Amino acid sequence: MKRSSSSPRINSRKHRERWSVAHTCLPVLLTVAAPCAAAGQENETAIPGVDLHSVIEERDVPPIAIRPLAVLGEDAGLAREIEGIIARDLDYSDRFRVRDSLPAEFAGEGVQYALWEQFAVDWLVTGTIEPGTGGGLSFAVELHDIVFGSLKAKATFPLPARDHPDFRLAVHSVSDAVAEWVTGERGVAATRIVFRMQAFGETSGREIYIVDFDGENLRRLTWDRSIATSPAWSPDGMRIAYGSFKSGFPLLYELNLDDGQDRLLVPEGRGQPDMPAYHPDGNTIVFAIVGDGPEGLFTYKIRDGCCLKRLDGSRPKDVSPSFSPDGEMLILTSPRLGSATPQVYKQPAGGGDAELVSPYRYGEGGYFTDPDWSPCGDRIAFAGGIGGRRQANRFHILVADVEGGGNRLLQLTREGNNEDPSWASNCRHIVFQGTRSYGSGVFIVDTVTGRTRLLVPNVKAEDPDWSPILAENGVVR
Amino acid sequence: MFNPRLVLAAFATVVLAAACRPEPPPPATPEPTGPTPAEIEAQRVADSIAAAEAAKREDERQAQQAQREMEQRARAARETLGEMVYFDYDESVLTSETTDKLRAKLEVLRGCPSVRLRMEGHADERGTSEYNIALGSERAQSVSEFFTGFGLAGARFATVSYGEERPISQGSNEAAWARNRRVEFVITAGGNDLGRCQG
Repeated sequence: MKRSSSSPRINSRKHRERWSVAHTCLPVLLTVAAPCAAAGQENETAIPGVDLHSVIEERDVPPIAIRPLAVLGEDAGLAREIEGIIARDLDYSDRFRVRDSLPAEFAGEGVQYALWEQFAVDWLVTGTIEPGTGGGLSFAVELHDIVFGSLKAKATFPLPARDHPDFRLAVHSVSDAVAEWVTGERGVAATRIVFRMQAFGETSGREIYIVDFDGENLRRLTWDRSIATSPAWSPDGMRIAYGSFKSGFPLLYELNLDDGQDRLLVPEGRGQPDMPAYHPDGNTIVFAIVGDGPEGLFTYKIRDGCCLKRLDGSRPKDVSPSFSPDGEMLILTSPRLGSATPQVYKQPAGGGDAELVSPYRYGEGGYFTDPDWSPCGDRIAFAGGIGGRRQANRFHILVADVEGGGNRLLQLTREGNNEDPSWASNCRHIVFQGTRSYGSGVFIVDTVTGRTRLLVPNVKAEDPDWSPILAENGVVR
Repeated sequence: MFNPRLVLAAFATVVLAAACRPEPPPPATPEPTGPTPAEIEAQRVADSIAAAEAAKREDERQAQQAQREMEQRARAARETLGEMVYFDYDESVLTSETTDKLRAKLEVLRGCPSVRLRMEGHADERGTSEYNIALGSERAQSVSEFFTGFGLAGARFATVSYGEERPISQGSNEAAWARNRRVEFVITAGGNDLGRCQG
């Protein structure tokens, strides 16, 4: 039998420790009243149409430890580096409590389950690193179930050499495999996040940057000394579509991450195209055109290089479109309710009537933008402005059930300004750009526990987009 | 070099020579004569050259003045066309102040049919960057529609939106936001004709 969650089991443990959620008032759920007036949040004006009641969602996450990895024919520093990457990945998965500071006698051959049980871990990762084929490494990993005193799973993963650019990504993919062994759901450590920001040392313009899941390996992808907008991952994780003024006029481009080649994506049409998003088929993109000529949402077949089409039912000033994971529907932002107030809508991808997703209350319409459809299809994240639209310069990240029509909302942030949410492929974590009293940065929030971490500090980043899985079982795509 | 002895010797020579000279005859009364034809001709030529030069100078002065006036007109027209217009928060509706500025531009544009403009729409930092691209575009288009509404050819106007990407004022306060909610004007053709246009 496959355990999909370890919670029932650890509830029975006498040494069970409740891992109470950091910021225990998160997440916050509409229509569910529960006592958590605590935390003394600054009493900001509410988001129109959103009645918030707080609920503590306490989660038990199982303790896990990594025994110092054995190394054959390699230096110990390599083992420490791999342990460090995996331990942090498991921590960032928000599914484990990673135990550190292991007693020295726990190292060595064999696994003494009784000893580890006294150390209060449910799961133990052990492993051996050896030289592999082609100058790479071979990483044999075992997962031990301390509670049942048995080997739960084991596998041997190939890894590139330590100085190979894909080394860390491959190690992340081992973390994801370990997470899947325990929870039945693959982790998202082997992913990257793309965003745009003013380049370091420059005073204008926006360039595209990319960063690993754990905040390491921040790299600049464009050097155009221009304004880049709305970067978006292709479904295969090999390309990034974005808008840029680099030719003097705004156009859409696609950057190939393999060879660094950049190409004009939509060489026809009038007006100002922006905000591209890929269809799951990787061939069609949807984007907005504003300005001279017909405005609204358009699709184009980028592989075939043809078939520019305006979507039936789209209107001028429809912006920020993206596809549902099955490609059947679109989510978008539109001010079509009459006042300028933008709202979030869903609409059949082939054109048709749009349906309101964000909460709209007549006479006090809020300001809702930047929707992103969960890869599981059931939920939509977007940003909601605090106060009416006249004051809306601060936003919070909200999640709505697609079927709920905005009646059931999860508020994931309670501080500062928060915009541009994008889902991880696990349908659980969301990356967004945030501003706090201590500065701006790229943040990641867990929709289950509400735990928030700063991915890239001290940058005024915009439009982050979370990649698909980029490596599996040690093999980088 | 000044030698007193040499000077003295020279003076003595002159005195002696004067003493020996005979009485000169009385001078003949000069016969009154007009300018010779050659002189008249020379004067005529000189006068006509002077007149031509004066005329040339006057022409140059006038040309320079005309040039200056043209440049002034061009500069004024350029200033009128280039003056930014501002908008209320989350609005693309033209305020009366904006309309006044646009009427002044309209006069210039009417007199200069060769002039083409690009309207660059901007938004303040509030709201999300993607929505602000649409908002900036709408502002640029309301300006474009103002001109075409008065009968100017639509082909003379192009719009582009920079959204919140190019603030001219960096602060996060109402004063900075008000300066950033704007449409800028770029002359893309006919700029050299501005001084010669009517009106």
